[in-house]
Amino acid sequence: MKVWISLIMTIMIYLLFKNIYRKWKVIVLIPVFICPLFFIFLLIIMDFPYEQYHQGTKWLTYLLQPATVAFAVPMYKHWHLLKKNMVEILSGVLFGVTFSVFVTMFFSLLFGFSSFITHSLVPRSITTPIAVTITEKIGGNASLTAAFVILTGITGLMLGQFLIRLLRLKTPLAKGMMFGVGAHGIGTSKAFEIGEIEGTFSSLAMILAAIFGVFFIPLLAPLVEKFFALWI
Amino acid sequence: MKWIRIGVQVGILILLNELGKMISHWLHLPIPGSIIGFFLLFFCLKRKWISISWVEAGASFLLGEMLLFFIPPVVGIIQFKEVILSSGIHLLLVIVIGTVVIMVATAWLVEKVYRLRREETTE
Repeated sequence: MKVWISLIMTIMIYLLFKNIYRKWKVIVLIPVFICPLFFIFLLIIMDFPYEQYHQGTKWLTYLLQPATVAFAVPMYKHWHLLKKNMVEILSGVLFGVTFSVFVTMFFSLLFGFSSFITHSLVPRSITTPIAVTITEKIGGNASLTAAFVILTGITGLMLGQFLIRLLRLKTPLAKGMMFGVGAHGIGTSKAFEIGEIEGTFSSLAMILAAIFGVFFIPLLAPLVEKFFALWI
Repeated sequence: MKWIRIGVQVGILILLNELGKMISHWLHLPIPGSIIGFFLLFFCLKRKWISISWVEAGASFLLGEMLLFFIPPVVGIIQFKEVILSSGIHLLLVIVIGTVVIMVATAWLVEKVYRLRREETTE
């Protein structure tokens, strides 16, 4: 019985905050931030074990897998845009993903995080379903990674517009790629607010970063770790 | 009617995902089944074996509501209370600074490559 309650509650609270956010556009009310916070407090207050909440909601999480398959649809629809800007998109994605592994490892060592936390941080620019797969491969934790991914996305969403002005970005390509590579799906939602083309480039960048990341990050992460270990 | 269509199409995507998992399992591939499912669907769309109208509504539903599916795993950080209490501020710093650095570098590079290529073609 309790199992069903956590599932139904999750869907209802999500729909509630989705509508509130659509109306007011206040950043702290973005469902992906406020809903988990709501349930964390609720579980603590009611002394409800996470294991039971997880049992009730695991098929919701399962839908992240067919959602990954679904990325093939926008990729197919916008294939011509991808082909036309192949050089810019591929170089941006390859560079962005590689660079993000270096940056994250560097800061993690600087702050002296354990390797468990570092490995959970590394894939955080990649869209959640894939980031979770990567983290399990390199020895991080899925829940920590999911939370880091969300915070990364919200950072990108909040600061993206400011960065566009700061860097005086002109091309929709650079604007979109910045969101897609740096802030995955949450950033992409902001890119779509700026413009249809920006959003499309952002989602293409996000998909390619995920595909590239799933093959490449598990190979790259141990190498970068060794590289920094030599210096620090 | 709209919801039946979405339901059936989500079903097709789930089937492709499960097929991808089976392939990954049989061939002992280090790639998750959902990624194989992604390539399967892309390939089938390209070869016109699957019409886009069979999956488009289901795909936009799953991608549009993806944030809902994130909620349970994020709630899972409740299992790491000590980590959050002891290094939460540092983690937040790394995430914010790191994300800004990555976004700036990527945007800068893309704009640079874009200009280089346009100059090439106009000369």
